[in-house]
Amino acid sequence: MNWQVHLNKLRWLVLSLVMLMLVLIPFLHLYQSYEAAHAYDLLKPGERLIYDSMEFISGPFISDPENDLDGLKGTTWSGTLFGLALSDPLALLGQISASLSLHWSFLLTALIPILLTLLAGRFFCGWICPATFIYELNDNLGTWLRRAGLPISRRKLDRRIKYVVLLMGVLIGMFTGAVMFAAIYPPAILGREIYYAIAVGGFGSGMVFFILTLLFDLLVARRGFCRSICPGGALYSLLGRFRLLRIQRKVETCNDCTKCNAVCQFDLDPWHDDFGQECNNCSACIAVCPTDALVFEMKYKDQPFQGAGHLGQDYKKQQGDIKPASGED
Amino acid sequence: MNSYKIMNKNSFIKTILVLLGVSLSLHALAHHVLGRPSYSLGEDSNTPPSMQVETQIGDYYVTYMAFPAFPKANEPGRVNLYASRIDNGQSFTGKVTFSVMDDSWFSSKIETIGSQMSDDSVFRQGFIISEDGNYIIRAEFESGGEPYIIDFPLRIGEPLPIGPLGVSVAIIFLILISVNVIQRRRLQRMKTGRHHAETE
Repeated sequence: MNWQVHLNKLRWLVLSLVMLMLVLIPFLHLYQSYEAAHAYDLLKPGERLIYDSMEFISGPFISDPENDLDGLKGTTWSGTLFGLALSDPLALLGQISASLSLHWSFLLTALIPILLTLLAGRFFCGWICPATFIYELNDNLGTWLRRAGLPISRRKLDRRIKYVVLLMGVLIGMFTGAVMFAAIYPPAILGREIYYAIAVGGFGSGMVFFILTLLFDLLVARRGFCRSICPGGALYSLLGRFRLLRIQRKVETCNDCTKCNAVCQFDLDPWHDDFGQECNNCSACIAVCPTDALVFEMKYKDQPFQGAGHLGQDYKKQQGDIKPASGED
Repeated sequence: MNSYKIMNKNSFIKTILVLLGVSLSLHALAHHVLGRPSYSLGEDSNTPPSMQVETQIGDYYVTYMAFPAFPKANEPGRVNLYASRIDNGQSFTGKVTFSVMDDSWFSSKIETIGSQMSDDSVFRQGFIISEDGNYIIRAEFESGGEPYIIDFPLRIGEPLPIGPLGVSVAIIFLILISVNVIQRRRLQRMKTGRHHAETE
């Protein structure tokens, strides 16, 4: 059994942890604020519950919540993870275009994500993005609704639209001085909205936009926002075009079942060795493959179409292993 | 928990007394120690419990403090604003205009509550708000020919814990989780079957 088939479970665990962190961080920040204000005696019962539970959770790891919790802040857009400042490369691009200047310290915070993208391509979209967690659940809901007879559209939009969105975002940033990406980039929106909902109280217009993207995916195009509109997806696709780590098909063990194509939410064609720069290395195709014909390999470009899988009927027919049934030409 | 709180409070009062003693013997250059708000008897004091927000905009680091930390309707409160240049730490000394607006979807009404000049590098603006809810305090100033507009949150009393949008989000999330958990095995078969049907 190929160990890589378990990567998809690991991915779901990572996605769940990222989502959990996005929910936990604002609660920890509230706890930190209460602690800094020495306000325990002033808190309402619900707030005391937050204080006590966060004290219980963080207690084993920190001794001075007022200062130590500074090491865990922000969202996937830009934040501090256990003292390490990290930023989304799109946030860096937005800042550069809006200010027409480069802050080296900000660049350093985006360096690790950029290097990882050069290595593993659009992995952020598949493994980290909190919106992916919701979008994939939403895609499964779409499958279920379609089965139930609801008219779910499977329109295929041009993937290149997102590069236009990326370019427009840069240009608008240059002319307005505002980081426009933050307004339409689902992980930034989700992180911000969850934070506001918990720490400040209530969702904002960003959440309405996010719900509209869910409806768009459900009613217009399957995973259409990530595939065709998301500016972050465009940037990661460009950065990951020559990624070193990519999923490849082993034609010797492929049986042409096409389950890989069926589960690929980005509508790629692993069966025909067509992964391209859009693949987010989510490993769902590896997990579903019954013959372990899909594996991660170190290569800087995809191999060309290798032909029918050697365990499939077509290949066996070509090789003369299977004789046509009587009556067939 | 209670004994811990009492001990914490006592040690804090001792610290304040020591600091007061030290400050009386020295020339104090600043009134405030940012990020270390504490108890006091009145909202006019420099150090009642506060809620603090720090942000960076343009050339400035801006710190906003709302007093008391948990203001109530019809009770006086105050916001303090500090703005210092990022490059040299010099405080902003111009005029800051404060306005308040309802942090809700369809409210466009903005009410100016005052314009304040710098008082020892601090811009202090008092307020009394008559209804519980979530509000935005907007601070506006101009520096180097550039306008600066910063919105800060202000919660008065206990607003509704969850609004219609929150309910919608909760329902959507519940549906997504339910369908995915309950139908998880069938979904895989559905996807494969549908794909085969579409490609044939």
